[in-house]
Amino acid sequence: MTGRALDPGAVSTSAIRTEGLVHVYDGATRALDGVDLAIARGERVAIVGQNGSGKSTLVRHFNGLLRPTEGRVLVDGADVADRRVAHLALTVGLVFQDPDRQIFAGKVRSEVAFGPRNLGRRGAELEGAIDAALVATGLDKDAETNPYDLGYSRRKLLALASILAMGTPIVVLDEPTTGQDARGVERIHRIVAELSASGRTVVAISHDMRFVAEAFERVIDARRADRARWLPSRGVRRDRLADARIDVP
Amino acid sequence: MATVESLGAFVIGGYLGPIAIIGLAILPAAASARVAGRLVRISLLLTLPIAISVVLVSVFTRAGVHVLFSIGPFDATAEGVDFAGQTLVRLFAISTSIGLFGLTTEPRSFVLDLERRGLSPRFAFIALATLEAVPAMVERASVIASAQRARGLDTEGSVRARLRGVLPLVGPVILSSLTEVEERSLALEVRAFGRPGRRHLLWRIPDSGTQLIVRAVLLLALVAAIAGRITGTFPSLP
Amino acid sequence: MLELTGVSYRYAGYATEVLHDIDLRLADGEIVGLVGPNEAGKSTLCLVASGLAPASVGGSLRGTLTLDGTPAAGLATHELAERVVVGFQNPNTQRSGIAATVFEEIALGPMNLGLAVAETVERTREAIERLKLEHLILRDPQRLSGGQAQLVGIASLLAMRPRHVILDEPTAQLDPAGTRLVGEALRSLAGTGTSLLIAEHKTDLLDGLCSRIVAIDGGRIVIDGPTGEVFDDPRLTGLGVERPARARLAAALATRGVEPGVLGGALEDATR
Repeated sequence: MTGRALDPGAVSTSAIRTEGLVHVYDGATRALDGVDLAIARGERVAIVGQNGSGKSTLVRHFNGLLRPTEGRVLVDGADVADRRVAHLALTVGLVFQDPDRQIFAGKVRSEVAFGPRNLGRRGAELEGAIDAALVATGLDKDAETNPYDLGYSRRKLLALASILAMGTPIVVLDEPTTGQDARGVERIHRIVAELSASGRTVVAISHDMRFVAEAFERVIDARRADRARWLPSRGVRRDRLADARIDVP
Repeated sequence: MATVESLGAFVIGGYLGPIAIIGLAILPAAASARVAGRLVRISLLLTLPIAISVVLVSVFTRAGVHVLFSIGPFDATAEGVDFAGQTLVRLFAISTSIGLFGLTTEPRSFVLDLERRGLSPRFAFIALATLEAVPAMVERASVIASAQRARGLDTEGSVRARLRGVLPLVGPVILSSLTEVEERSLALEVRAFGRPGRRHLLWRIPDSGTQLIVRAVLLLALVAAIAGRITGTFPSLP
Repeated sequence: MLELTGVSYRYAGYATEVLHDIDLRLADGEIVGLVGPNEAGKSTLCLVASGLAPASVGGSLRGTLTLDGTPAAGLATHELAERVVVGFQNPNTQRSGIAATVFEEIALGPMNLGLAVAETVERTREAIERLKLEHLILRDPQRLSGGQAQLVGIASLLAMRPRHVILDEPTAQLDPAGTRLVGEALRSLAGTGTSLLIAEHKTDLLDGLCSRIVAIDGGRIVIDGPTGEVFDDPRLTGLGVERPARARLAAALATRGVEPGVLGGALEDATR
């Protein structure tokens, strides 16, 4: 993935910026080849593209899980280079694709509590954050249930709730709708809208084109075929879609 | 593969007969596989703990007449030293032969060759799955660690902080492995892994005529050595 | 033909049945789509239709499953494997874990069936071609992306040339290109006489692929009919199933007083 997706007016209010970001795996594979992008605060951005186009690699730079081979990554105006992952977790919440790679608690509520507790939340503030996250994901009635008694799609919602409760200004979702039925997708759509309405920045990797067209305002397309080029941001305006009543982009 | 069988013979041969000679056969084989240096180093390291205890025990407690020196109530005898020496050489022969096997044999080829010679496909599967289990677990653990770190788990802090992190790191590894077991085994059944009977394996494990001869010779030598030892026709060697 | 008659099923250790009175028939060469909200019993139905429930999973089944005339009840799991395969959506569990390359991974199924080497290779090649995986054959199966692993998983099942293929959300990890690829592969497969049952949320995919759609809710089949009819059925939205774009567009046009028939085939082509 390479190229530029800079929004002219966004530089000073960027939630996330990358400058010439290069990432090389194992000394040989160039997953990211000089990516310049800027995501403004409060924006809803979807990253789409074929498998292997570097999407997951890119977003893992936002919270420090991966470090650039070359170039810089700035979150909230500051270079992430000197900040630990645990510290960046205060700003960037990343929801992984596979919920079973993070669930360890015996109860839904305890699972959701893990993230915010790590960030130092306690008492009423903590409980409030957990409650809100459970309600948003429809898990409030299952607060005492064992996560593995929930089906896979609800466990995915649990993973999402775990990050929502952290209250981070930037939320990154990796394939949030895979395995969800129509109701699940609607729920996630609502959550994205609510996050944005409260001023938080949402970035999602997705190959569900309908979800992308409906829930996001900007699409970054990483083309696998020609690594040297990728489409600049393409505005997909929801009201225009609504007029035409066309749901498929 | 020939190495496998030949070494089987070596190991047993190492117990009896002229150990020094066997030592001469193993090292050239190792040299031809270019692992001689590593082999010696690893074998020495592995036998060191046993060697120390063997030496201590046999030197001081072996019944003998010629006392060399004493420490407290313990007498170091010449017979003890002699016994220790012989045992050490034997140990080294065993460890180098097993080491040679380990360094030159690809586990996967070994298991498949065994299946070709009659091992049940189920056992072959278990062996191969076990071999792959560790790298798969490591990969899984690394993804889990990333996910938990993204939730603010501090893996670089104080010892207490790291201890608190044990359950969130280890828990999902075990839980997800266990919950996947059922679906995994179903998927295996669907692909007929449980089918009784032999399979026609895709893989050809190379086995030349030379290897066949070498194996035969070694086997004969082993039988001769055992026979000689039993019937007492073998001369005593220093 | 795969036939479920009056089937109700209860998992081992559970008091309540999760499937009630299921009647389902899959004719040779037929592709049937299975839709419904999550936790309605789609996955269970896939397990039961493959015979693995109860043969491998346990539990108790009432009613019968018949595979090409033979009752499944007496068959061992490897005998079932020769007739029907079922694939699940988690690519991690579909992987054998013992293959060094993708080629070997796909070849394991036919090899396990005791086929001669030439036959095994032939079937493996065919499955690889069907799913266009030529560029991946030497890769380590553990090091594939989710989408690639899912394609390899499907190929591994197809290589066994079963008469009946059941797939539970085969395109969950796939992007639109991969989804189309699978759709084409399955269509050509059905052309050889294989019957297919596909549980999916992507109704657009099913719309272009299936001749029949079955909708399940609360463990019961609530709709079973030709694709066109079922997807125009307004009950679907109530079930939490999103109708394909074609149907939504037609409905939207209808409320504006435009007859979808006017656009005719163009509508079908445009939304495919």
